[in-house]
Amino acid sequence: MRRYETVFIANPELSEEQRQPLFDKLNGLISGDGCMLVKFDEWGPKKLAYEIKRHARGYYVLMDFCGDGSLVREIERNMRLDDRVLKYMTVLQDTAVDIEAVKDEIEAAKEQESKSEPAEQAIGGSTEKEESGSTGTVGAPASETKVPENTPETREQEEQEHGTI
Amino acid sequence: MAQFKRKRRLFRRRKICRFCADSSLAIDYKDPRTLRFFTTERGKIIPRRVSGNCAKHQRQLTTAIKRARTIALMPYAATMSHY
Repeated sequence: MRRYETVFIANPELSEEQRQPLFDKLNGLISGDGCMLVKFDEWGPKKLAYEIKRHARGYYVLMDFCGDGSLVREIERNMRLDDRVLKYMTVLQDTAVDIEAVKDEIEAAKEQESKSEPAEQAIGGSTEKEESGSTGTVGAPASETKVPENTPETREQEEQEHGTI
Repeated sequence: MAQFKRKRRLFRRRKICRFCADSSLAIDYKDPRTLRFFTTERGKIIPRRVSGNCAKHQRQLTTAIKRARTIALMPYAATMSHY
């Protein structure tokens, strides 16, 4: 079994009620033997980098699923025929996945979600989280800038020495 | 000649692959913010000799940028007004 990831752009002008049948239809395709939906992630409306069918915005959705080539063909065929979908792209993530391992992963993701939700509700928990997150991101670029700063200097010194010799 | 050589050496700078230096930095086509750093204002991919990436990561980066372009997360050709 293979693991795929499909990103598709739905028409942004669809209302919530109009959008849901489309998503249900696509989810319905990934049911049955030898296939499984891992994640259905709605990114929401986003600005497109270029116009697609005269739309400047699009409603992005990520589908993470397991299956085989025939399933991908079926999903892509449906998306091609459906004019509610502006564009789609499927990427192969893994050629051989163990379905049990994926199931465990889904469970872990669900648990994490349920854990993070109460933490967000509590004011203290959410601020703590944000702080730790921001320091993590700030820390990374700082170390990045440090590395190139030090090396050119030492390099230059070395080179100067070589030059005088 | 000797002077010219020295001058050239002084201007040379050692470049480091960001992805090798920081393993937490992932290359993902779904994250155009990171990828944007490696394209010009026009949307062209910055060459390895300029960005200093290693061959492995440049290869991954190129694939990721091209995927992001396909799904309209990044432009194929941007005008300056986009930025």
